[in-house]
Formats: sequence, structure tokens, C-alpha cells
Amino acid sequence: MPKILIPTPLRQFADKKDSVDVAGATVGEALAALTTAHPDLKKNLFTDEGKLRSFVNVYVNDEDIRFLEKDKTAVAGGDTISIVPSIAGGVW
Amino acid sequence: MITVETQPWSVMVDHAQATYPNECCGAMLGAIDGDVKTVRLALPLDNAYEGAQRERYELRPEDLLFAEREARKNGMDLIGIFHSHPDCDAYFSKTDLENSCPWYSFIVLSIQQGKFHHANSWLPNMEQTEAAKEELTHPNA
Ligand SMILES: [Zn+2]
Repeated sequence: MPKILIPTPLRQFADKKDSVDVAGATVGEALAALTTAHPDLKKNLFTDEGKLRSFVNVYVNDEDIRFLEKDKTAVAGGDTISIVPSIAGGVW
Repeated sequence: MITVETQPWSVMVDHAQATYPNECCGAMLGAIDGDVKTVRLALPLDNAYEGAQRERYELRPEDLLFAEREARKNGMDLIGIFHSHPDCDAYFSKTDLENSCPWYSFIVLSIQQGKFHHANSWLPNMEQTEAAKEELTHPNA
């Protein structure tokens, strides 16, 4: 089963776990399994319309899924899925 | 509330002063105990913004992935992001808000004429519409 690493501030919504093993053959299925097991994570990761929030990037091992097959990116046992924020800013 | 220890604080201030008049950015690692956060390690990261870095910064997600891995390796947590405002106050701007993430504390360092002036910490909301000021303790306060 692929493993999803949980960022520290989200562990409070995942029974304090720092990683969760989930069933799923794609990133989309793995994230769905994660938010089914831990429903409080859902609003942190997805909008009400079910899209990933703008500040959420997802990596499989070292690759950004935007440059792979997005939520259809295949995952298997031994793969690590990371949730990485998108951050920028400016003075104005 | 968030407290920055002496060593990471000097890393943050040095990085902000060294990159002046451009904006700097980086990650803060440490521990969270309820609402009390302690920064034990600061990682200066690249400002990846392609354009006027005097008024913008951008963190590469790969660099944040690296910061997250460093945190896990050291038994710490990624708890916040810092960046500087050259010759501007340490407010949380519209651009900061629109490109923020509600999971982290955002420390803004005001650098005036190349020297540290003051700092604030901000907690943006999920909708990226407002940021609350967080109580900040640091060695220069
Ligand atoms: Zn800013």
C-alpha cells in the first residue's frame, strides 16, 4: 500500500499519525481513502467542490503530480505520497 | 503563540539582511505543543520568484519538501515560513494572503535600510481572506 506523509499541522485530524498507509492504485484513490478514514482532513485538502485547494501540491516520491498524470498518477506499495504547500508572497 | 530561539533567530535576521534589498524566505522547524510553537532551526531557502524580488518571493515546493524531510530526520516539525519586507512594515499583504497556507505560522521581518527593524507572526485562514496576528517572542523583542 502507498504511504501518505501527514504534515504536522494536519496530524490533529489524522489521529495524531505522521503517516497513513492507504489502499488505492492512483493518487486520487489514495487521497480519497485518506479522507474517508479521516474525514476532518477533507476540508484542509479539498474545496467544497471537491478540488484540491490551491495551496496544496502533491508529490509521489520526488515528483510533483502536476507533471505526472495528476490525480490519475499510479501508486503502489513502496511509494510515498507527500502533501506540500504552495507558498509565495510580496510586499503589496 | 510562537517563540523563536536565539540561534534560528540570528539565521533568519542574517538571511533577511544579506538578501536586502530583495525579499528572502525560508522554513522554520521546531516543536508544537498545543498552541505553543517553538522554532529551533531556521532553514534559509531560495527566493524562486522570477521578477522583482524586491517586492515578491516564491518558495519552490521541492524546497518545502526538503524542509519537511529535514524536520522528520531531526525529530522536529515544519511549523512556519518566514520572509522579509525590505523597507516596508511587517504586515501581511494581499499577495501574502492570496499565496498563503493556513497550516503554518508566517513570520514577516521588516528590514529597514538593510537592518532588522521589527517582526510579526501571522496565521492566515483557510479561505485566504484574512490573517490573525499571532503572539511572537524573539530575542530582539
Ligand atoms: Zn510579504
